[in-house]
Amino acid sequence: MLNQLVSWSCIALESVLLFRGLRSKLGSRYPAFYTYISFVLLQDLVCYFAFRWVHSLYTYIYWTSEFLCILFSCGIVLEVYRVGLSSYPGTARITRKVLGFVFAVALVKALVSAANDPRWWLEATAKDVAGTLRAVQGIAIIALVSLFLFYAIPFARNLRGILVGYGLFVCWTIICLTLSSSVSENVHAFLKNLYQASYPVFLLFWLVHLWSYQANPASEVEVPLEREYERIAAVTRRRLHDVRGQLAKVVGS
Amino acid sequence: MIGIPTALLLGTILLLLLLFVAARGSVGAREPTSRSDVPLLDDEAALDPCPPEFVARIFSPDDWEFVSATGSPQLEKLFRRERKVVALAWVHQTSLAVRRIMREHTQAARHSRDLQFVTESKLVLLYAELMLLCGMLFLAIQSAEPQRVRGLAIYAGALSQRLAQAQHDLQTMTAGREFHSAS
Repeated sequence: MLNQLVSWSCIALESVLLFRGLRSKLGSRYPAFYTYISFVLLQDLVCYFAFRWVHSLYTYIYWTSEFLCILFSCGIVLEVYRVGLSSYPGTARITRKVLGFVFAVALVKALVSAANDPRWWLEATAKDVAGTLRAVQGIAIIALVSLFLFYAIPFARNLRGILVGYGLFVCWTIICLTLSSSVSENVHAFLKNLYQASYPVFLLFWLVHLWSYQANPASEVEVPLEREYERIAAVTRRRLHDVRGQLAKVVGS
Repeated sequence: MIGIPTALLLGTILLLLLLFVAARGSVGAREPTSRSDVPLLDDEAALDPCPPEFVARIFSPDDWEFVSATGSPQLEKLFRRERKVVALAWVHQTSLAVRRIMREHTQAARHSRDLQFVTESKLVLLYAELMLLCGMLFLAIQSAEPQRVRGLAIYAGALSQRLAQAQHDLQTMTAGREFHSAS
Protein backbone atom coordinates (compact mmCIF):
# COMPACT_ATOMS: atom_id res chain seq x y z
CA MET A 1 0.00 0.00 0.00
CA LEU A 2 2.76 2.41 1.03
CA ASN A 3 4.83 1.42 -2.00
CA GLN A 4 1.90 2.12 -4.30
CA LEU A 5 1.34 5.47 -2.67
CA VAL A 6 5.01 6.37 -3.15
CA SER A 7 5.00 5.16 -6.77
CA TRP A 8 1.93 7.14 -7.71
CA SER A 9 3.08 10.25 -5.86
CA CYS A 10 6.39 10.06 -7.77
CA ILE A 11 4.57 9.72 -11.08
CA ALA A 12 2.29 12.62 -10.20
CA LEU A 13 5.15 14.89 -9.07
CA GLU A 14 7.26 14.05 -12.13
CA SER A 15 4.30 14.86 -14.38
CA VAL A 16 3.73 18.19 -12.64
CA LEU A 17 7.46 18.96 -12.85
CA LEU A 18 7.46 18.28 -16.59
CA PHE A 19 4.26 20.26 -17.09
CA ARG A 20 5.72 23.25 -15.25
CA GLY A 21 8.95 22.85 -17.22
CA LEU A 22 7.01 23.16 -20.47
CA ARG A 23 4.82 26.02 -19.26
CA SER A 24 7.69 28.11 -17.93
CA LYS A 25 9.96 27.17 -20.86
CA LEU A 26 12.52 25.82 -18.42
CA GLY A 27 12.66 22.66 -20.52
CA SER A 28 14.55 24.43 -23.27
CA ARG A 29 16.94 26.03 -20.79
CA TYR A 30 17.72 22.84 -18.90
CA PRO A 31 17.17 20.10 -21.51
CA ALA A 32 19.35 17.48 -19.80
CA PHE A 33 17.49 17.81 -16.51
CA TYR A 34 14.05 17.54 -18.11
CA THR A 35 15.18 14.63 -20.30
CA TYR A 36 16.28 12.89 -17.13
CA ILE A 37 12.93 13.56 -15.42
CA SER A 38 11.07 12.34 -18.54
CA PHE A 39 13.13 9.18 -18.52
CA VAL A 40 12.50 8.62 -14.80
CA LEU A 41 8.77 9.05 -15.41
CA LEU A 42 8.90 6.51 -18.22
CA GLN A 43 10.97 4.18 -16.03
CA ASP A 44 8.46 4.47 -13.18
CA LEU A 45 5.55 3.61 -15.47
CA VAL A 46 7.34 0.72 -17.19
CA CYS A 47 8.55 -0.71 -13.87
CA TYR A 48 5.13 -0.36 -12.31
CA PHE A 49 3.40 -2.27 -15.09
CA ALA A 50 6.24 -4.79 -15.34
CA PHE A 51 5.93 -5.46 -11.60
CA ARG A 52 2.21 -6.11 -11.96
CA TRP A 53 2.08 -8.08 -15.20
CA VAL A 54 5.52 -9.52 -16.04
CA HIS A 55 7.01 -9.97 -12.61
CA SER A 56 9.66 -12.44 -13.79
CA LEU A 57 11.26 -9.74 -15.96
CA TYR A 58 10.94 -6.98 -13.39
CA THR A 59 14.52 -7.22 -12.03
CA TYR A 60 16.08 -7.08 -15.51
CA ILE A 61 13.87 -4.20 -16.57
CA TYR A 62 14.54 -2.32 -13.34
CA TRP A 63 18.34 -2.56 -13.45
CA THR A 64 18.57 -1.90 -17.20
CA SER A 65 16.49 1.24 -16.83
CA GLU A 66 18.45 2.18 -13.71
CA PHE A 67 21.74 2.13 -15.64
CA LEU A 68 20.23 4.17 -18.45
CA CYS A 69 18.95 6.54 -15.80
CA ILE A 70 22.47 6.95 -14.37
CA LEU A 71 23.78 7.70 -17.87
CA PHE A 72 21.07 10.32 -18.43
CA SER A 73 21.81 11.83 -15.04
CA CYS A 74 25.43 12.48 -16.06
CA GLY A 75 23.93 15.09 -18.37
CA ILE A 76 22.68 17.01 -15.33
CA VAL A 77 26.22 17.46 -14.01
CA LEU A 78 27.36 18.64 -17.44
CA GLU A 79 24.37 20.97 -17.68
CA VAL A 80 25.13 22.58 -14.32
CA TYR A 81 28.67 23.12 -15.57
CA ARG A 82 27.48 24.50 -18.94
CA VAL A 83 24.79 26.87 -17.63
CA GLY A 84 26.53 27.93 -14.42
CA LEU A 85 29.83 28.78 -16.05
CA SER A 86 28.62 30.15 -19.39
CA SER A 87 29.66 33.67 -18.36
CA TYR A 88 32.95 32.55 -16.83
CA PRO A 89 35.07 30.98 -19.58
CA GLY A 90 38.25 30.93 -17.52
CA THR A 91 36.61 29.14 -14.60
CA ALA A 92 34.94 26.77 -17.08
CA ARG A 93 38.36 25.91 -18.47
CA ILE A 94 39.73 25.14 -15.01
CA THR A 95 36.61 23.09 -14.23
CA ARG A 96 37.04 21.02 -17.42
CA LYS A 97 40.57 20.17 -16.39
CA VAL A 98 39.60 19.34 -12.81
CA LEU A 99 36.68 17.13 -13.94
CA GLY A 100 38.93 15.44 -16.50
CA PHE A 101 41.44 14.77 -13.74
CA VAL A 102 38.73 13.39 -11.42
CA PHE A 103 37.40 11.02 -14.11
CA ALA A 104 40.93 9.89 -15.02
CA VAL A 105 41.74 9.13 -11.36
CA ALA A 106 38.42 7.29 -10.91
CA LEU A 107 39.04 5.23 -14.04
CA VAL A 108 42.60 4.33 -13.03
CA LYS A 109 41.47 3.42 -9.51
CA ALA A 110 38.64 1.24 -10.86
CA LEU A 111 40.99 -0.54 -13.27
CA VAL A 112 43.63 -1.11 -10.59
CA SER A 113 41.02 -2.40 -8.12
CA ALA A 114 39.54 -4.71 -10.74
CA ALA A 115 42.98 -5.97 -11.75
CA ASN A 116 43.86 -6.71 -8.13
CA ASP A 117 40.62 -8.57 -7.59
CA PRO A 118 39.62 -10.29 -10.88
CA ARG A 119 36.61 -11.91 -9.21
CA TRP A 120 35.01 -8.47 -8.99
CA TRP A 121 34.03 -8.66 -12.69
CA LEU A 122 32.16 -11.90 -12.02
CA GLU A 123 30.75 -11.24 -8.59
CA ALA A 124 29.85 -7.56 -8.74
CA THR A 125 26.13 -7.11 -8.49
CA ALA A 126 24.16 -4.50 -10.36
CA LYS A 127 23.92 -2.68 -7.04
CA ASP A 128 27.73 -2.59 -6.70
CA VAL A 129 28.17 -1.14 -10.18
CA ALA A 130 25.40 1.41 -9.63
CA GLY A 131 26.98 2.40 -6.31
CA THR A 132 30.38 2.87 -7.95
CA LEU A 133 28.94 4.97 -10.78
CA ARG A 134 27.03 7.13 -8.31
CA ALA A 135 30.22 7.56 -6.26
CA VAL A 136 32.06 8.84 -9.35
CA GLN A 137 29.17 11.24 -9.95
CA GLY A 138 29.36 12.33 -6.32
CA ILE A 139 33.09 13.09 -6.64
CA ALA A 140 32.45 15.05 -9.84
CA ILE A 141 29.75 17.09 -8.07
CA ILE A 142 32.10 17.74 -5.14
CA ALA A 143 34.77 19.02 -7.55
CA LEU A 144 32.24 21.14 -9.43
CA VAL A 145 30.65 22.66 -6.32
CA SER A 146 34.07 23.34 -4.75
CA LEU A 147 35.12 25.33 -7.82
CA PHE A 148 31.78 27.18 -7.89
CA LEU A 149 32.27 28.15 -4.26
CA PHE A 150 35.94 28.96 -4.63
CA TYR A 151 35.34 31.35 -7.53
CA ALA A 152 32.13 32.65 -5.88
CA ILE A 153 30.04 31.91 -8.96
CA PRO A 154 26.50 33.19 -8.35
CA PHE A 155 23.58 30.75 -8.74
CA ALA A 156 20.04 31.48 -9.76
CA ARG A 157 17.20 29.75 -7.96
CA ASN A 158 16.58 27.24 -10.80
CA LEU A 159 20.17 26.12 -11.20
CA ARG A 160 20.71 25.99 -7.46
CA GLY A 161 17.61 23.82 -7.08
CA ILE A 162 18.80 21.39 -9.74
CA LEU A 163 22.31 21.18 -8.30
CA VAL A 164 21.40 20.93 -4.61
CA GLY A 165 18.49 18.54 -5.23
CA TYR A 166 20.45 16.26 -7.50
CA GLY A 167 23.56 16.41 -5.29
CA LEU A 168 21.55 15.43 -2.21
CA PHE A 169 19.91 12.63 -4.17
CA VAL A 170 23.31 11.28 -5.25
CA CYS A 171 24.61 11.59 -1.68
CA TRP A 172 21.62 9.68 -0.33
CA THR A 173 21.90 7.02 -3.07
CA ILE A 174 25.61 6.41 -2.38
CA ILE A 175 24.98 5.93 1.34
CA CYS A 176 21.93 3.68 0.84
CA LEU A 177 23.57 1.50 -1.83
CA THR A 178 26.74 1.08 0.21
CA LEU A 179 24.96 0.33 3.47
CA SER A 180 22.44 -2.05 1.90
CA SER A 181 25.23 -4.40 0.81
CA SER A 182 26.42 -4.98 4.34
CA VAL A 183 23.39 -5.01 6.61
CA SER A 184 20.91 -7.65 7.70
CA GLU A 185 17.78 -8.48 5.72
CA ASN A 186 15.51 -6.44 7.97
CA VAL A 187 17.66 -3.34 7.82
CA HIS A 188 18.04 -3.84 4.09
CA ALA A 189 14.27 -3.88 3.64
CA PHE A 190 13.91 -0.80 5.82
CA LEU A 191 16.62 1.04 3.83
CA LYS A 192 14.96 0.08 0.55
CA ASN A 193 11.61 1.47 1.70
CA LEU A 194 13.24 4.60 3.09
CA TYR A 195 15.11 5.13 -0.19
CA GLN A 196 11.94 4.80 -2.23
CA ALA A 197 9.96 7.00 0.12
CA SER A 198 12.59 9.74 0.00
CA TYR A 199 12.43 10.26 -3.77
CA PRO A 200 9.19 12.31 -3.65
CA VAL A 201 11.00 14.68 -1.26
CA PHE A 202 13.65 15.40 -3.92
CA LEU A 203 10.94 15.82 -6.55
CA LEU A 204 9.14 18.31 -4.30
CA PHE A 205 12.40 20.18 -3.79
CA TRP A 206 12.87 20.44 -7.56
CA LEU A 207 9.26 21.44 -8.04
CA VAL A 208 9.58 24.33 -5.58
CA HIS A 209 12.80 25.57 -7.18
CA LEU A 210 11.68 25.06 -10.77
CA TRP A 211 8.13 26.34 -10.52
CA SER A 212 8.97 29.39 -12.60
CA TYR A 213 11.94 30.70 -14.52
CA GLN A 214 14.44 32.90 -12.79
CA ALA A 215 17.34 34.28 -14.77
CA ASN A 216 20.87 33.61 -13.66
CA PRO A 217 22.45 36.62 -11.94
CA ALA A 218 23.80 38.87 -14.64
CA SER A 219 27.48 38.49 -15.03
CA GLU A 220 29.51 41.55 -14.26
CA VAL A 221 30.38 43.52 -17.35
CA GLU A 222 32.92 41.56 -19.29
CA VAL A 223 36.10 43.47 -19.73
CA PRO A 224 39.18 42.43 -21.62
CA LEU A 225 40.92 41.02 -18.57
CA GLU A 226 42.88 38.41 -20.52
CA ARG A 227 45.91 40.62 -20.70
CA GLU A 228 45.49 41.42 -17.03
CA TYR A 229 45.34 37.83 -15.84
CA GLU A 230 49.09 37.42 -15.74
CA ARG A 231 49.34 40.62 -13.75
CA ILE A 232 46.57 39.59 -11.34
CA ALA A 233 48.15 36.16 -10.82
CA ALA A 234 51.59 37.69 -10.34
CA VAL A 235 50.31 40.20 -7.78
CA THR A 236 48.47 37.46 -5.87
CA ARG A 237 51.48 35.17 -5.98
CA ARG A 238 53.77 37.93 -4.73
CA ARG A 239 51.43 38.84 -1.89
CA LEU A 240 50.95 35.24 -0.83
CA HIS A 241 54.71 34.66 -1.02
CA ASP A 242 55.27 37.70 1.18
CA VAL A 243 52.81 36.39 3.73
CA ARG A 244 54.39 32.94 3.59
CA GLY A 245 57.85 34.40 4.13
CA GLN A 246 56.70 36.32 7.15
CA LEU A 247 54.79 33.38 8.57
CA ALA A 248 57.77 31.07 8.05
CA LYS A 249 59.92 33.61 9.89
CA VAL A 250 57.45 33.67 12.76
CA VAL A 251 57.20 29.88 12.93
CA GLY A 252 60.99 29.62 12.83
CA SER A 253 61.54 32.21 15.55
CA MET B 1 32.34 -1.16 -4.79
CA ILE B 2 33.37 1.57 -2.37
CA GLY B 3 33.56 0.78 1.34
CA ILE B 4 31.26 2.15 4.01
CA PRO B 5 33.81 4.65 5.46
CA THR B 6 34.52 6.04 1.97
CA ALA B 7 30.82 6.30 1.20
CA LEU B 8 30.13 8.08 4.47
CA LEU B 9 33.05 10.45 3.94
CA LEU B 10 31.94 11.19 0.40
CA GLY B 11 28.35 11.67 1.52
CA THR B 12 29.34 13.98 4.37
CA ILE B 13 31.56 16.19 2.18
CA LEU B 14 28.87 16.39 -0.49
CA LEU B 15 26.17 17.15 2.06
CA LEU B 16 28.21 19.93 3.71
CA LEU B 17 29.10 21.54 0.39
CA LEU B 18 25.50 21.44 -0.82
CA LEU B 19 24.18 22.83 2.45
CA PHE B 20 26.70 25.63 2.07
CA VAL B 21 25.46 26.32 -1.47
CA ALA B 22 21.85 26.27 -0.25
CA ALA B 23 22.67 28.56 2.68
CA ARG B 24 24.55 30.96 0.42
CA GLY B 25 21.55 31.04 -1.87
CA SER B 26 19.10 31.82 0.90
CA VAL B 27 21.35 34.57 2.27
CA GLY B 28 21.66 35.95 -1.26
CA ALA B 29 17.87 35.87 -1.65
CA ARG B 30 17.40 38.07 1.41
CA GLU B 31 20.03 40.57 0.37
CA PRO B 32 19.55 42.76 -2.67
CA THR B 33 22.99 41.87 -3.98
CA SER B 34 24.79 38.62 -3.51
CA ARG B 35 27.78 38.95 -1.21
CA SER B 36 30.05 37.55 -3.85
CA ASP B 37 29.29 40.44 -6.17
CA VAL B 38 29.69 43.23 -3.64
CA PRO B 39 32.97 45.08 -3.93
CA LEU B 40 35.23 43.71 -1.25
CA LEU B 41 36.32 47.04 0.09
CA ASP B 42 32.91 47.83 1.56
CA ASP B 43 32.59 44.93 3.96
CA GLU B 44 36.08 44.70 5.30
CA ALA B 45 36.15 47.69 7.62
CA ALA B 46 36.65 45.35 10.55
CA LEU B 47 39.88 44.18 8.99
CA ASP B 48 41.80 47.39 9.50
CA PRO B 49 45.27 46.22 10.43
CA CYS B 50 46.82 47.21 13.75
CA PRO B 51 49.56 49.85 13.52
CA PRO B 52 52.98 48.12 13.42
CA GLU B 53 54.26 49.81 16.58
CA PHE B 54 51.11 48.79 18.44
CA VAL B 55 51.50 45.13 17.47
CA ALA B 56 55.23 45.20 18.25
CA ARG B 57 54.33 46.43 21.71
CA ILE B 58 51.78 43.68 22.30
CA PHE B 59 54.28 40.96 21.46
CA SER B 60 57.24 42.59 23.14
CA PRO B 61 58.84 40.61 26.00
CA ASP B 62 59.35 43.89 27.90
CA ASP B 63 55.85 43.87 29.33
CA TRP B 64 56.22 40.27 30.41
CA GLU B 65 59.52 41.03 32.13
CA PHE B 66 57.95 44.02 33.86
CA VAL B 67 55.00 41.96 35.13
CA SER B 68 57.29 39.14 36.24
CA ALA B 69 59.35 41.64 38.21
CA THR B 70 56.29 42.61 40.28
CA GLY B 71 56.23 39.08 41.70
CA SER B 72 52.43 38.97 41.71
CA PRO B 73 51.11 35.56 40.55
CA GLN B 74 47.62 37.00 40.02
CA LEU B 75 48.92 39.77 37.82
CA GLU B 76 51.07 37.31 35.87
CA LYS B 77 48.06 35.07 35.34
CA LEU B 78 45.90 37.96 34.17
CA PHE B 79 48.64 39.25 31.88
CA ARG B 80 49.21 35.81 30.35
CA ARG B 81 45.51 35.38 29.67
CA GLU B 82 45.05 38.82 28.18
CA ARG B 83 48.10 38.57 25.93
CA LYS B 84 47.04 35.18 24.68
CA VAL B 85 43.65 36.54 23.69
CA VAL B 86 45.24 39.43 21.83
CA ALA B 87 47.73 37.15 20.06
CA LEU B 88 44.95 34.79 19.02
CA ALA B 89 42.95 37.71 17.72
CA TRP B 90 45.96 38.65 15.64
CA VAL B 91 46.23 35.16 14.14
CA HIS B 92 42.53 35.32 13.32
CA GLN B 93 43.06 38.66 11.63
CA THR B 94 45.98 37.27 9.66
CA SER B 95 44.01 34.31 8.42
CA LEU B 96 41.20 36.66 7.41
CA ALA B 97 43.74 38.73 5.49
CA VAL B 98 45.03 35.67 3.63
CA ARG B 99 41.49 34.62 2.76
CA ARG B 100 40.77 38.13 1.62
CA ILE B 101 43.78 38.19 -0.70
CA MET B 102 42.62 34.94 -2.26
CA ARG B 103 39.03 36.13 -2.57
CA GLU B 104 40.15 39.29 -4.27
CA HIS B 105 42.15 37.15 -6.67
CA THR B 106 39.30 34.77 -7.50
CA GLN B 107 36.85 37.61 -8.00
CA ALA B 108 39.23 39.47 -10.24
CA ALA B 109 40.36 36.41 -12.18
CA ARG B 110 37.10 34.50 -12.70
CA HIS B 111 36.11 36.61 -15.71
CA SER B 112 39.40 36.07 -17.46
CA ARG B 113 39.30 33.82 -20.52
CA ASP B 114 42.90 32.96 -19.94
CA LEU B 115 42.90 31.34 -16.49
CA GLN B 116 45.84 28.97 -16.27
CA PHE B 117 45.37 25.69 -14.49
CA VAL B 118 48.99 25.42 -13.29
CA THR B 119 49.10 28.98 -11.97
CA GLU B 120 45.76 28.60 -10.21
CA SER B 121 46.82 25.26 -8.70
CA LYS B 122 50.02 26.81 -7.34
CA LEU B 123 48.08 29.68 -5.81
CA VAL B 124 45.62 27.28 -4.20
CA LEU B 125 48.49 25.23 -2.74
CA LEU B 126 50.14 28.38 -1.44
CA TYR B 127 46.86 29.48 0.10
CA ALA B 128 46.41 26.07 1.75
CA GLU B 129 49.96 26.24 3.11
CA LEU B 130 49.34 29.67 4.59
CA MET B 131 46.11 28.59 6.22
CA LEU B 132 47.96 25.61 7.66
CA LEU B 133 50.67 27.91 9.02
CA CYS B 134 47.99 30.08 10.63
CA GLY B 135 46.54 26.97 12.23
CA MET B 136 50.00 26.01 13.52
CA LEU B 137 50.50 29.49 14.95
CA PHE B 138 47.13 29.31 16.62
CA LEU B 139 48.16 26.08 18.32
CA ALA B 140 51.62 27.46 19.19
CA ILE B 141 50.12 30.50 20.91
CA GLN B 142 47.63 28.32 22.74
CA SER B 143 50.36 26.09 24.09
CA ALA B 144 53.23 28.59 24.59
CA GLU B 145 53.61 32.18 25.76
CA PRO B 146 52.64 34.72 23.07
CA GLN B 147 55.78 36.80 23.62
CA ARG B 148 57.87 33.87 22.43
CA VAL B 149 56.55 34.43 18.92
CA ARG B 150 58.05 37.86 18.75
CA GLY B 151 58.36 37.81 14.97
CA LEU B 152 54.62 38.29 14.80
CA ALA B 153 55.10 41.97 15.53
CA ILE B 154 57.33 42.45 12.49
CA TYR B 155 54.95 40.42 10.40
CA ALA B 156 51.92 42.44 11.52
CA GLY B 157 53.57 45.68 10.46
CA ALA B 158 54.42 44.27 7.05
CA LEU B 159 50.96 42.79 6.70
CA SER B 160 49.24 46.09 7.39
CA GLN B 161 51.29 47.69 4.64
CA ARG B 162 50.46 44.87 2.25
CA LEU B 163 46.78 45.18 3.03
CA ALA B 164 46.93 48.86 2.30
CA GLN B 165 48.70 48.05 -0.96
CA ALA B 166 46.11 45.36 -1.75
CA GLN B 167 43.29 47.83 -1.23
CA HIS B 168 45.02 50.29 -3.48
CA ASP B 169 45.56 47.62 -6.19
CA LEU B 170 41.94 46.57 -6.04
CA GLN B 171 40.70 50.13 -6.22
CA THR B 172 42.87 50.70 -9.27
CA MET B 173 41.59 47.50 -10.87
CA THR B 174 37.95 48.35 -10.12
CA ALA B 175 38.40 51.84 -11.49
CA GLY B 176 39.97 50.34 -14.61
CA ARG B 177 36.97 48.03 -15.11
CA GLU B 178 34.52 50.88 -14.70
CA PHE B 179 36.50 52.90 -17.18
CA HIS B 180 36.49 50.02 -19.71
CA SER B 181 32.76 49.38 -19.29
CA ALA B 182 31.91 53.04 -19.59
CA SER B 183 33.95 53.54 -22.75
